[in-house]
Amino acid sequence: MSDTNGTKGQETPDSGEGMSHGHVLDLKLPIGWLLSAYGVLLTVYGLLTKKEMYAISLGLNLNLVWGILMIFVGGGFLLAAFLKRRRTTG
Amino acid sequence: MPIISLNAIDYAIIAGYILVMVLVGYSLKKYMKTGEDFFLSGRSLPGWITGLAFLSANLGALEIIGMVANSAKYGIATVHFYWVGAIPAMVFLGVFMMPFYYGSRVRTVPEYLKLRYNEATRGLNAVSFAIMTVLMSGISLYAMALLFKLMLGWPLTQSILVAAVVVLLYVFWGGLSSSIYNEVIQFFLIWLGLLPIVFLGLKQVGGFEGIVAQIKGPLLHSIKYLGTSNNPLGVDWFGVVMGLGFVLSFGYWTTDFLVVQRALASKNISAARMTPIIASFPKMLVPIIVVIPGLVALLVLPEFSQAALPKAEYNQALILLMKHYLPNGVLGLAITALLASFMSGMAGNVTAFNTIWTYDIYGTYIRRGRPDAHYLKVGKYTTIVGVAISIGTAYIVKSFPNIMDYMQLIFSFFNAPLFATFLLGMFWRGATAWGGFWGLLVGILTAAVHYILYKVGRIHYHSDMAANFYQAWWAWLADFVVTIGVSLFTAKRDPKELVGLVFGLTPKPKAHRRWYARPAIWGALAIAVAVALNLLFW
Repeated sequence: MSDTNGTKGQETPDSGEGMSHGHVLDLKLPIGWLLSAYGVLLTVYGLLTKKEMYAISLGLNLNLVWGILMIFVGGGFLLAAFLKRRRTTG
Repeated sequence: MPIISLNAIDYAIIAGYILVMVLVGYSLKKYMKTGEDFFLSGRSLPGWITGLAFLSANLGALEIIGMVANSAKYGIATVHFYWVGAIPAMVFLGVFMMPFYYGSRVRTVPEYLKLRYNEATRGLNAVSFAIMTVLMSGISLYAMALLFKLMLGWPLTQSILVAAVVVLLYVFWGGLSSSIYNEVIQFFLIWLGLLPIVFLGLKQVGGFEGIVAQIKGPLLHSIKYLGTSNNPLGVDWFGVVMGLGFVLSFGYWTTDFLVVQRALASKNISAARMTPIIASFPKMLVPIIVVIPGLVALLVLPEFSQAALPKAEYNQALILLMKHYLPNGVLGLAITALLASFMSGMAGNVTAFNTIWTYDIYGTYIRRGRPDAHYLKVGKYTTIVGVAISIGTAYIVKSFPNIMDYMQLIFSFFNAPLFATFLLGMFWRGATAWGGFWGLLVGILTAAVHYILYKVGRIHYHSDMAANFYQAWWAWLADFVVTIGVSLFTAKRDPKELVGLVFGLTPKPKAHRRWYARPAIWGALAIAVAVALNLLFW
């Protein structure tokens, strides 16, 4: 249960029986890994591809820009998962 | 010749998504020890997960493609499906109805009907809902395969089988949790996949001001032209407010087990009540990724040039925009977002189907009182049956040309009257068991009769959409009136049996100590923002 609830355990006086075993998988991890992997892939692809390919995206290297953005979004999820894990174990 | 051609990077992105979904499903396998784990995620999930899943369960690919098409066709009035047709109902569910759903510990929507009314009412709802979810799952599957065939040239049968097998694997292993986790991942993929189109589109047409300058009046207003049905939607204000905003919307958001199931998976009653309210905020923003692309399509795609009749179906607007703006790479991401939302739509329907089948049909009429492990097993194997029926349905729905209208049609047959049954059941203690049953039955029949009369030309409306909205309204009214009428002449339930099920007989849930955790406060805020948005785009 520690993963889903963290420090807010005392907020659940009305929850009753039947919830002793939370699902331990922290969803922030798969989201974080998937999005940052996509981010890295797009960034690298953006760096390797030629400028002509981006005529359709109005001259903007969309893969590079969006890849970097996704590294930040995915990294944010991984960081949040990491901080939560450290808080609940330590 | 397919519209879009993908390359290795796009396929890598698609494969990555499928791999992650199967792995997530597999890693959930070990937690599926009881029926409640499998069907309700062990009632253990935090509000942000159930909230995003609640929203995503409705943010299917068909919904997105259809709404972009609506926006190209009807303009800004498309926001009614969000700011009028969703937010009030979502807030109402969280603030007023969830205490009875979650508080009564029911596992399904039909189970509530059994407790509040009687076995017959539950049976009617469970059977009609089970049929509806399997139809929807098949629709989703077929539409996906058809889209990928037109767009990418993928063969129909292979698309259907691959998607079905992936969904089968992860639902079989992880049950509702798999379904919900996929929906949350889908939520982020949809935004990340479609926002580039919004940015590039706005950049090209000169921002929102550019749209306003280049598109003609009626398409730019949501409410101003609703006085009569002489507007792009072909619906007047009564149809929009009562048909869509009240009946269709409340019927869908508050009684459709597909969405309510997500809230029931929450870890406690506060999280359950916050689920639809958390969902309402991103829901208000969805027009950014559907309405803006629709309007941009009118301005930049030669197929939809306003000077001549459109040369492509509006349903192709989103796909043509992807082709127009997205280079390989981000293109794969956008395709993955669509694939994810198709698969999660199917998974959601399959999970709802196996839950209703196992608890409300199999566990009630076929094998009662078996140990929990038996029902867990039945649920798992029902997943296989549900997927198989979906594949069959996929080939049946081929004959229906306009899938979006078909969906609305199904909703208005079953969901619209149901909301009257719930409204009276939860808020009027005088509603009797048989009042509930006959009201619901007459409501469904009213919808069916109205549909037939409209189809044979005995009733006329300005548009099919107007017919759907009014059909929902009449079905709701028939249910409401008949439930009250029959209740006045049939035996009342003992009020003691209704504690926990009916407003006024149930102690109010304690207000949360901290004001910022109270559903009513956030609900009021959501309503205020929705009103402001409506006024802004008047």
